[in-house]
Amino acid sequence: MRNNFKLISFNLLACLALLVSATSHAAQPIPANDMGLSKGSVFDVPEPKVSHYPSTAPGESSVLPRAYLGAPPQIPHDISDFLPITAQTNMCVACHNQPALRGGNPAKGTVVPIPVSHYTDHRIPHAKTGDNLINARYNCNQCHVPQSDAPALVGNSFSSKRKR
Amino acid sequence: MDISRRDFLKLSTVASTAAVTVGLPISEMAEAATKSAEAGWRWDRGVCRFCGVGCGIQVATEKGRIVATKADPDAPVNRGLNCIKGYFNGKILYGKDRLTQPLLRMKNGRFDKQGDFVEVSWERAFDEMEKQFKRSYRAMGPTGIGFFASGQHTVQEGYAAVKLFKAGFRSNNLDPNARHCMASAVAGFMQTFGIDEPSGNYDDIEHTDTMVLWGANMAEMHPVLWTRVTDRRLNNPNVRVVNLTTISNMSSDIADIEIVFKPSTDLAIMNYLAREIVTRDAVNWDFVNKHCAFAAGPTDIGYGMRGSDKFDYAAEKDVNAKELTMILNPQEAIAQGKQTGARVDQKNRATPDKHWLITFEDFKKGVEPYTLDFVAELAKGDADESLDSFKAKLRQLADLYIEKKRKVVSFWTMGFNQHQRGTWVNEQAYMVHLLLGKQAMPGNGAFSLTGQPSACGTAREVGTFSHRLPADMVVNNPAHRAASEKIWKLPANTLNPKVGSHFTKIMRDLEDGQIKWAWVQVCNPFQDTANANHWIKAAREMDNFIIVSDAYPGISTKVADLVLPAAMIFEKWGAYGNAERRTQMWREQVSPPGQARSDIWQIIEFSKRFKLKEVWGEQQVPGLKEDGYPDGKLPDVLTGSGYSPEATLYDVLFATPDNRKFKWPDAVSKGHENHTAKLLGDHWFPEKALFEEYAQFGRGHAHDLAEFDVYFRDDVRGLKWPVVNGKETHWRFNEEYDPYVKKGSGFDFYGSAFKSLPSGNLDGITNQEKTSIAGKAKIFFRPYAAPVEQPDENYNMWLCTGRVLEHWHSGTMTRRVRELHWAVPAALIYMHPEDAKSRKLKREDTAWIESRRGKIKATVETKGRNRPPKGTVYVPWFDEGVFINKVTLDSTCPISKQTDFKKCAVKIYKA
Repeated sequence: MRNNFKLISFNLLACLALLVSATSHAAQPIPANDMGLSKGSVFDVPEPKVSHYPSTAPGESSVLPRAYLGAPPQIPHDISDFLPITAQTNMCVACHNQPALRGGNPAKGTVVPIPVSHYTDHRIPHAKTGDNLINARYNCNQCHVPQSDAPALVGNSFSSKRKR
Repeated sequence: MDISRRDFLKLSTVASTAAVTVGLPISEMAEAATKSAEAGWRWDRGVCRFCGVGCGIQVATEKGRIVATKADPDAPVNRGLNCIKGYFNGKILYGKDRLTQPLLRMKNGRFDKQGDFVEVSWERAFDEMEKQFKRSYRAMGPTGIGFFASGQHTVQEGYAAVKLFKAGFRSNNLDPNARHCMASAVAGFMQTFGIDEPSGNYDDIEHTDTMVLWGANMAEMHPVLWTRVTDRRLNNPNVRVVNLTTISNMSSDIADIEIVFKPSTDLAIMNYLAREIVTRDAVNWDFVNKHCAFAAGPTDIGYGMRGSDKFDYAAEKDVNAKELTMILNPQEAIAQGKQTGARVDQKNRATPDKHWLITFEDFKKGVEPYTLDFVAELAKGDADESLDSFKAKLRQLADLYIEKKRKVVSFWTMGFNQHQRGTWVNEQAYMVHLLLGKQAMPGNGAFSLTGQPSACGTAREVGTFSHRLPADMVVNNPAHRAASEKIWKLPANTLNPKVGSHFTKIMRDLEDGQIKWAWVQVCNPFQDTANANHWIKAAREMDNFIIVSDAYPGISTKVADLVLPAAMIFEKWGAYGNAERRTQMWREQVSPPGQARSDIWQIIEFSKRFKLKEVWGEQQVPGLKEDGYPDGKLPDVLTGSGYSPEATLYDVLFATPDNRKFKWPDAVSKGHENHTAKLLGDHWFPEKALFEEYAQFGRGHAHDLAEFDVYFRDDVRGLKWPVVNGKETHWRFNEEYDPYVKKGSGFDFYGSAFKSLPSGNLDGITNQEKTSIAGKAKIFFRPYAAPVEQPDENYNMWLCTGRVLEHWHSGTMTRRVRELHWAVPAALIYMHPEDAKSRKLKREDTAWIESRRGKIKATVETKGRNRPPKGTVYVPWFDEGVFINKVTLDSTCPISKQTDFKKCAVKIYKA
């Protein structure tokens, strides 16, 4: 079977890579308890940690870095009094719906306007951009989320490099 | 919401050191800026990795890495929208602790179950896997091995797994995590229509006037469909949205009517609707007479538990004993037309799916007890709501369904499917729509949504269930086995006719020592299976060998013996099928890191290690007594088969002469790599070859898929099967849209399963002579049945579990994205403020959640998006640190074998 494996996957480079990595990795054994996002034994009961979302009022906080070009911005301020978004009340829209300010770069302390894309109904072919928010965009917190102070669990090397 | 100054500074520093951005760059100036920023990026189509909605996305790569994704404006599912998870399809690949090398538990250079994980080569990993496989297989035969498959397997991966297990190893112990997710939907479809999957499609949302959510919190679990529902509702004042749920949730925030009911009483509410339809003379008799038949089945079917107390903890014994005998409470007795306190032996545990035809008069008798007074009293779920208010809502619900001109769509997912009577309640949804003749037409229909990205495409259509073969065929039907053996070019009687172990049963088999080798792919079964304390102990302490293929370490890798590093979605070619029958494909965008390899490569490469003589000789299969098979044995099929005993499963199942005709490289690649094809060698294109082979099962059988290359055409964003003469099918069973419908019939429920039945009444069969109901759908009478475990003086609250918008399933991918992790860092225990107060708990306290099966700790939340009524708590399951499945009950729907994660009894107290 061992020979079979080598013969059939005759990609020599791949095989060499396997051998090299097998021999050059003198890595330390990894205890299972050191793996995963909750360290310790699966039989243990971890102590939950409490984290908090920002208590900053709108206008007092800085805009957060975007994950990458085109990613939805996160919410930098306290929203506890603004939820839930209901069919009757949408406190996010009440403030951020500023068609006149679209496309500009707002100064700190001024409201970030809802962008043009949110005023265009993609379900209609060749739809024009209007002054009314498209209702498919009404549930703001489906894309825009607050950021708590919880410690990151593990690093991430994703990079968009040019973030605009 | 206090935040310390230090923490705030930390946030601000992060903000100021990175490029600060504002507003989406879609204005003309910004668009130009975007174009220049994107210079050098390669964009290509993709499909979202997460839920069953199946949003189309575009993936940008630069220098071998994904740098961005965006919602595809041309995808009909989502038209340029994603949910917050969807935006991180790229970032999930780059968590720092990606598994990049096989890991084997070792001591002193040898495998040792008590050892730590040591990095090994793929060859060493496969050597051990093979050795352990052969040890179990020689000793126990095909029933001694198991495979935990997935609704996140690509179509081709699932197909390869089925073929290796069922055709190669002759074992049916292969079952997907989709068993936990929509097995009840499948059983409901098969029993009602004789064929699986929805008649409608997502455009029903824009066509309908009324959307009724039954235990489906679409705002969190199907967010992009929810944008369509919201859009439809807010743009049209006459549209109505009703949310039926056991806890008040985000979907209630947009709904016109919220109905909070007690667990399992959805069964009673459905029968109230049926009774209203009948008593208000609103049955669409033209439709029902032409296209429907009435049916019923046994009610003493158990609760899908073991039926043996051998492995029970002491505290479990009282509830588990009900598996064999249940004492009816007063309401259940009325609902089933029996005496209160009657002891009902669960005699039909082995045949829960049996059913027969009844008359309309009997059906009417069945629903007669479900008056408004009876149902309201039974079902009202919020102690703070008045009975009158609840009754008024039920009446409004009936009005909406019955109003003649009103179109109605009913949506459901886990609330119905994860239910001790999940199959029944699915069937009841069809019951209501069929009685009204509001099914299988634009804007009208009962629509079963699905949870995972390819629960439909892979688990159901390919058939990675323990009883299934591709295209709705089943292993215990001789004609289906023969048809499969023909396409697969197998000797007759190769396939094992005995239904294998379902997902939870594989866990039980590990505990029993009945399965000693199990392979996990694209799922996290030791976190996602209820009553988990039993299974993690079985994995670590029994004599068995567990292999986990995964991209990141989690609970399942921690209890594994061998960990295989898996390529993630855009590191391989693949196809997913979503909840509206839409098949979508993507190319490999980037190479997997380190030694990570696609799951399909792992399956096919492993197959090289088996010769036919090792698997196709006589095999023991305990309990096998089907026609044509000797008792307890699968016959030797190798002798006289024309195949060489020395041929490998790789040559016979995968790199067949037909499949080798699909060459790699292929023009459809447009410069994209295929690491699977390269590593396997032999210059064939496994994903294309296996897709085309698989498509043979469905073409001409109402499951037609288009040719592989069609799905990559610029003008195609997935196609809804059946695809006939290049045209997709928007609404099935409807003559106007579905080419399989008999001309002139109007509607034709042509599914062929369970369409020849004996007759009887509500109590049982009275005439064994079978009647054909070809072309018809069934309207079942199914009674209310009380949950097997209910709150009592000790365990005095209901526990409901589920998902959250920001995380996918067990969180192994999304929790490695800091934006998502910071959005929802931990699973909380959502409870009513007064329940907290009476337990001396307040918001942010740590509480114990304890059931008969285990206990864990979580942080108390008394406000926020989930607002349970008094007496109920809600805990999401994504967080491995809040391991809620140690607490849940592994009771299943006896027909579908799907676990009920939505209800069990717990006590909550201060930690």
